[in-house]
Amino acid sequence: MIDLILFYIGLGLTIIGGVLDIIASIGFFRLKDFYMRLHAATVGAIGGGFYPLIGLAIIALSLDVDIYFKAYMSGVCLIAAVLIALGTPAGSHILARAAYHSGEAKPIITVDRLREDKGGDGE
Amino acid sequence: MVEYGLLELFLPFMAGLFTTAMIIYSARILTSKTLPDAVLAVDALSVDLVVILAIIALYYRSPLLLIGVIPLAAWIFLLDLIIARYLLKR
Repeated sequence: MIDLILFYIGLGLTIIGGVLDIIASIGFFRLKDFYMRLHAATVGAIGGGFYPLIGLAIIALSLDVDIYFKAYMSGVCLIAAVLIALGTPAGSHILARAAYHSGEAKPIITVDRLREDKGGDGE
Repeated sequence: MVEYGLLELFLPFMAGLFTTAMIIYSARILTSKTLPDAVLAVDALSVDLVVILAIIALYYRSPLLLIGVIPLAAWIFLLDLIIARYLLKR
């Protein structure tokens, strides 16, 4: 009984993750600015990577397969989920900082206080 | 224990969802104007690739397919770091 509940929780997490992933990929085209597209990238990483990996780990724990495959699969999925949850937001922040300071991506805004602080004009 | 056949019913549907998202991300990489945009899309594509690899390993019930998952998940952060250093040092 508990196995069936775990299985359906994992299945729900994985399918919700797939839907969120498609939403994020559409957001990459719909959003106007690099700094707005960072939101879509976060939805794609946490919603489309973290949740499905947790779900797959739970599914692997509930199946009636070989115990070695079960342990290996759920362990690898959990470690990959933790690496994604820690690494991708930090990477997005580093990338946004580099893109702003190198002038590669210009934000679509009316007033830029950070540029004022650095000595430029804020308009 | 849940029967494996019950999961086999849902696995192609999950793989289809993630494959659709991967195709749209690939189109985004090919049409992006600047370097940070392309790197952001490559990040999302790599996350999807991790999930697809796990789904394929579950489908074939082979642990050998999971070898590349953890280095790929660590590579995503490393790629961001390298590109950020390249953009700032340029």
